[in-house]
Amino acid sequence: MELFLMSLINGIMVGGVYALVALGWVLIYKCSGVLNLAMGELTLIGAYVTLTFYQAGIPFVLSIICTLIIGIILGILVERIFLDKLIGEPILAVIMVTVGLSFFFKGLIEFVWGTNTRVYTPPIFPLEPITLGFIKISNVYLWSFILAILLFLIFAAFFKYSRWGLAMQATADDETAALSLGVSARFVYAAAWAIAFMSAGVGGALLGNINGINISVGYLGLLVLPAVVLGGLNSIPGAILGGITIGVLQNLSGAYLDRYFPGGVKEVFPFAFMAVFLLFKPYGFWGWERIERM
Amino acid sequence: MSTVWLPCGLYHQDYTKDQGWWQTSLIKGKMILLLAIIFIVFPLTLTGYWFGVANMVGYTALGALGVQVLIGYAGLITLGHAAFIAVGAYTSTLLILQFPWPQFFINGGIAYPISLIIAAIVAGLWSVLFGLPSAKVKGFYLILTTMAAQFITVDFLITQYVSQIGGRGQAFSVPPGTIKIGPWIIDSEVKTYLLVVVLLTLCVMMVANLLRSRVGRAWIAIRDNDIAAETLGINIVWYKLLNFFVAGFIAGLAGAFWVSNTAAISPEHFPWFWSLWLVGVILIGGVGSIHGVIFGSIFMVLVMELIQMGVIELSDIFPALMIKFLYIKESVFGLIICAFLIFQPRGLSYRWWQIKNYFNLWPFSY
Repeated sequence: MELFLMSLINGIMVGGVYALVALGWVLIYKCSGVLNLAMGELTLIGAYVTLTFYQAGIPFVLSIICTLIIGIILGILVERIFLDKLIGEPILAVIMVTVGLSFFFKGLIEFVWGTNTRVYTPPIFPLEPITLGFIKISNVYLWSFILAILLFLIFAAFFKYSRWGLAMQATADDETAALSLGVSARFVYAAAWAIAFMSAGVGGALLGNINGINISVGYLGLLVLPAVVLGGLNSIPGAILGGITIGVLQNLSGAYLDRYFPGGVKEVFPFAFMAVFLLFKPYGFWGWERIERM
Repeated sequence: MSTVWLPCGLYHQDYTKDQGWWQTSLIKGKMILLLAIIFIVFPLTLTGYWFGVANMVGYTALGALGVQVLIGYAGLITLGHAAFIAVGAYTSTLLILQFPWPQFFINGGIAYPISLIIAAIVAGLWSVLFGLPSAKVKGFYLILTTMAAQFITVDFLITQYVSQIGGRGQAFSVPPGTIKIGPWIIDSEVKTYLLVVVLLTLCVMMVANLLRSRVGRAWIAIRDNDIAAETLGINIVWYKLLNFFVAGFIAGLAGAFWVSNTAAISPEHFPWFWSLWLVGVILIGGVGSIHGVIFGSIFMVLVMELIQMGVIELSDIFPALMIKFLYIKESVFGLIICAFLIFQPRGLSYRWWQIKNYFNLWPFSY
């Protein structure tokens, strides 16, 4: 029971970070219909950029803000250079451009920062865990979760109340109608990519705190794909639910199944679960069911 | 787009001729010349390094052909094809190493051919297993299930369990002399080259023939509009699964060939990168074209060799480049894919088609 609760709570905590990254993914999909497979690399870039700022002696919070700014710039650049020209192309072309981007970024990251594992020195969060009754939560997880939820709320408020957020929602709903009302679609796409880079960047910085940063953090970024599929591709609450579900599943499978299937069951289980899940609920929890006509 | 335009004044009177492979004697001559170059001139003239390159092209083309069948002809986007290649490679190797072959089989040299076919069938069935969700989902959801195939098969099942069989550790190596077809032991680069060329030719013929039959037409109908295809009475699920089987079958052959080329396999030979690479190859070559598979493979392998040569040249000045070659390769691959998709979305085969037609119709190109 204790093990169960421990894994459950840790899962929810990590799931919060996944949810943050998944949010960036869903945003891009909702606004521009781009299925982004480069999310893992975006998280990596976020992690390394934050690390670089932090090592240069800038406080952690400030380095995260710097990462956000760099995320905005990178996001707009990427959208302008690569994806702007692909609006309206077939799905495969757009996906493969993001795959191409992911290779480009991955090569670049390895070239610049190398492949060794790096850790934040000095550690940002205290190492000793917090004890709540019989449950121990490590500080990193707790703070990551809080920060992720905080950012999540900021993004959600941005969507609901700000002019730009409303414009983005309008474009996602009906591009032509939004255009006729004076919304600049190009601006919206650029904004979507900027936000995606920002959320992936912060997600990466938080994930990097948990186990140190190396290329495999990019794999953790890839885990948002099952998360968004579980939640449904175009649902923001779905992204939260999916992210937390994936986090919990990962930790529970690590705790219980590892005994029977030693090895990487923790990494593979979300994907296996997703493949089976899709057989029964092809559009995730809250995804829009697409009605097709001839 | 696929067929060649005939010169002015030549036309066919029935469907059979229209679908013929060698429609004029000029085309027939050109094809025979091409086959002669591939099967006779190259084996006699090439040297060791170029055989290596040619084998790589052949292996890439075999893998990419399966991806082309899935993506190009049925619109089923796959990002996990390396998993099926791995299944083929491991099935073949395990059969050679573990199966108690009667001495007669080993002496006669039919153990490897049998394992080749069984590997192809097993990979095909494995591919069908992961194709099952395609009955209900498509588009991005299907992409994710094929990705799941990659992670479940290679990173989990093969790395953790299949590699344990026989207690050889992570890498399986095939003792020299065991890979034998009939009286020939596949031990030199010329022989692997011939093997891959024969396999590739057979597979291309198989796919090309399938495509001009009922099956191929059904696939193309499903690719273009699956709902319309269903209303025409095509059993979508059956044909999609058949498509997965054919793609997996070819992937299995590719994997089983890979064993003969390297004489050792390990899970690192089949990373997710390789799945994406194969999709990149057909995008560069041209989606929905068998020419595209070949052109794409040649292009990608040659570009990578050129980059490698360039890096080796430069490494005298910047030794660090040598260590970072892999990263440069990845980056360049990514950029090439992006550039092709943005500037040349129909791939190399479309250019080839334009050039060919220009000469076919010359001087009256109207």
